[in-house]
Amino acid sequence: MNVYITGAATTKFGELWATSPRQLAGEAVGGALKDAGIGIRRIQALFVGNMLSGILGGQEHLGAFFAEELGITAPAFKIEGACASGGLALHNAVNSVLSGQYDTVVVLGVEKMTDHKPEDVATALMGAGSEEERSAGATFPGLYAILACAYMREYGTTREQLAAVAVKNHYHASLNPNAQFHTTITIEQVVRSSRIADPLRLLDCSPISDGASAVVVSNKKSAHGILVAASTVATDSLGLAGRASLTQLAATKEAGKRAYARAGITPKDIDVAEVHDCFTIAEILAMEDLGFFAKGKAAAAIAAGETRLGKSRHLVVNPSGGLKGCGHPVGATGVKQIVELVDQLRGRAGARQVQGATIGLAHNVGGSGATAVVHILKK
Amino acid sequence: MNSPVKIWRNQKYIASMLGREGAIVSWTVIRVPPGGFSNLAPYPVVVVDLPAGKAGLVGDGRITAQLVDWTESDLAVGKRVRVVVRRISEPTTEGIIPYGIKVKPV
Repeated sequence: MNVYITGAATTKFGELWATSPRQLAGEAVGGALKDAGIGIRRIQALFVGNMLSGILGGQEHLGAFFAEELGITAPAFKIEGACASGGLALHNAVNSVLSGQYDTVVVLGVEKMTDHKPEDVATALMGAGSEEERSAGATFPGLYAILACAYMREYGTTREQLAAVAVKNHYHASLNPNAQFHTTITIEQVVRSSRIADPLRLLDCSPISDGASAVVVSNKKSAHGILVAASTVATDSLGLAGRASLTQLAATKEAGKRAYARAGITPKDIDVAEVHDCFTIAEILAMEDLGFFAKGKAAAAIAAGETRLGKSRHLVVNPSGGLKGCGHPVGATGVKQIVELVDQLRGRAGARQVQGATIGLAHNVGGSGATAVVHILKK
Repeated sequence: MNSPVKIWRNQKYIASMLGREGAIVSWTVIRVPPGGFSNLAPYPVVVVDLPAGKAGLVGDGRITAQLVDWTESDLAVGKRVRVVVRRISEPTTEGIIPYGIKVKPV
């Protein structure tokens, strides 16, 4: 059996103070259903990807919460896997269709972060780490900074090469009407921005964001349906201390390897990729762990523009602007990556269109690499 | 996060770790701390290899911990550190003072 994405839509990402989570969900799901050309009654199950509604907003039971908002009584589930919640929700939705249980389901990724104080959000996000890391006073920028420190020492990566990731992704975001940021930035601005967790600075970090994205998953191929050629998940230790290596994410390698095997392709076949650049170092690690560049070579390649729109000859990475430029409402991100790939593969991505894209890869990470989700989509 | 029962349950683990020595594998300096840590920032967080392993817990003998009593020159891969007991963060609203493990330069 084949599974397809038959509809996809996202809200704008950003500081959406006037918009409630219910409104975000309604807009994203409504858009995805309209795109699929079906009504809400056709939906047999709802999968919600979200991380922080309980700890920040005091609202759990999100399956029923959003089913009520959408006016349905179909089975509804919340899937949580930190910043990989959206990708995990899609994986579970795909499996539910593959099992034969349902024909058509909706995946909603949603997060509301800017209602809350930044230090409260930072503390809540650390729920994705280990107890030991929380006791150390670590933050998520801090955990990725530890990875950056190890990586830069091993491969001689420069501060400027890290910055090049953010510069590229802001450029892509400037072409995306739904992105949180529309301003381009320079290497100089990144390396002079305020210090967050050495060696990472403010402009190395994805922002705190609100937003929702939704896709319709079905076993019936519609006129514009995009094939889900692979959906894989791998898991690693919750904390950094449980890892044998600090210069790679083993879960990404494993999920990627299995996804390529499932889809019957190699990294060279990918035209467009949305990868998890929560921090600049994360995109560098992802490029290597997903097999696009040899170990230690990604930072220089990204800085040389090899994955930038208009410059790349074979692979464009994070045309949406990525987490850095498009914004990172954590539960929505994994679904937004799929929406972006669908737009790219259907040739409707406007100014940021990757010409002739036929195969796309999405890579969504939870925590500092404890969960990795990879999807491969084909036109 | 820090209930009295949880702190009590961790006593044996904390005691088993005290005095152990190891070397820094990687590090950062937290400039923007999470809630409860603002009076400590900036502070380093380090990953440490403990050759003797980590009693009773999964992992390969590494821990992640905050570095105390530090100067800039201590922030180096290979730097020797020792496990000590310290107050972890600011007291909770219930008045509980959370104690736990940190590391300091040898």
